Amino acid sequence: MRNFIAFIKHFQVILVFALLQGIALSLYVSFVQFPRSQYLTTASSVQGNILSVRNSMTKHFNLSKNNVQLQKKNIELMQKQPFSFIPQENGLVKINDTLQRLQYEYIPAIIINSTHDKRDNYFTINIGSSQGIERGMGVFSNNGVVGIIHNTSANFSVIKSCLTKKLNIAIMLQESNEFGFLEWDGRDARRGSMTGVSNDFDLKKWSRIVTKGGGGIFPRGIPVGKLEKYEVIEGESLWDITFLFSEDFRSLQNVYVIKNLLLEEQKELETEVNNNQQ
Amino acid sequence: MNDPLKHSLRFLAVLLIQGLILNQIEIGFGIQLMIYPLFILLLPVNTSILPLLFISFSLGLLVDAFSNTYGLHASSALIFAFLRPSVFKLFDSRDGYDPLVETNVFNMGFLWFAKTFGVLLFIHHLWFFLLEMFKFNDLGFILQKTVLSAPVSFAICILLQYLFVKKQTSK
Repeated sequence: MRNFIAFIKHFQVILVFALLQGIALSLYVSFVQFPRSQYLTTASSVQGNILSVRNSMTKHFNLSKNNVQLQKKNIELMQKQPFSFIPQENGLVKINDTLQRLQYEYIPAIIINSTHDKRDNYFTINIGSSQGIERGMGVFSNNGVVGIIHNTSANFSVIKSCLTKKLNIAIMLQESNEFGFLEWDGRDARRGSMTGVSNDFDLKKWSRIVTKGGGGIFPRGIPVGKLEKYEVIEGESLWDITFLFSEDFRSLQNVYVIKNLLLEEQKELETEVNNNQQ
Repeated sequence: MNDPLKHSLRFLAVLLIQGLILNQIEIGFGIQLMIYPLFILLLPVNTSILPLLFISFSLGLLVDAFSNTYGLHASSALIFAFLRPSVFKLFDSRDGYDPLVETNVFNMGFLWFAKTFGVLLFIHHLWFFLLEMFKFNDLGFILQKTVLSAPVSFAICILLQYLFVKKQTSK
């Protein structure tokens, strides 16, 4: 026993160092996989409030650019309004549309903190669980996909953005419907890559890449980017695709969180199927 | 100003500068600015290693809380604190350190500061980027990030000392 205590005393420093190092690394690994608490992230209320004060000072830096984008989106929406159309025929009866049903709701949010040149980049937004935000909801902006909600507190949320190691959003080429997954190599905030597309298919430069949908997170067809470069991966029958993000995340401020009204129904059904198979 | 108060204020200042300003500065080429190691370096020489480890760990965790890295900065700060006594010993002058003199660039001279802080900062940055990327395919990119970031962080730390640390008149 005495020997043991002497041993502990002798290696005290190393032991404490190893213990703390172990805590730090396990925190890091478990956060990347699945965040259990929001306290040591920017979703927590202390950091969230400090960051929103900072945001109130710096938000005007990209104002003109963001205004132009909002204006464009407004014009696009105005053109879809009934008053923008001239009736072709008079006497048509307007009926309530029962063929379509609302599946996705969009909740507007403002990014109050973001980074773009780290290996994993998280964005903090100014709404949280009290506004109905939950982990796993999709986030997009006027120009394209942004990421998935990673962590929420009462009034703030952290988005795991497209600029992270493993986001695993299913995306596809709009024309040919070939689908793959979104990845980011950590180098350039303007370019991402798409994996899992078989090189049997011919690709075209600058063809549009959109979300595949189906997972219940994103609707089908939200823009992701444009195909810029493709090469064969040696020894594999897959394309190595690089694309240009349609959104410039570096000046992004206004985003929308997607709430899928039918998600629970879909999940229930899918778990039922899984349970039956087992 | 007495020492504990000075160091606590520094702790806060370093945390806020790192969290609110430096995390947002994006130069490109993978350059990332980290100044909180300076705080650990400037802690009194006679601080024993255990408190040093705990202080660094908590500082790192709080920096993590501002940058959503959750443990990366804590781990790197620990490495820095753990190696600090050995590196201090390595570059020791003949008559040892005066525990009352702060180890800033004015008191210790630029050469000593460049050697000690340079080595520690380089190891700190290398460890950080290694953990962050965690892929040996990207070894070149990790080295690029380290080699480019460390000198810029170093320069900012020197600048901060010129701005905020009072020069002691030599005895």
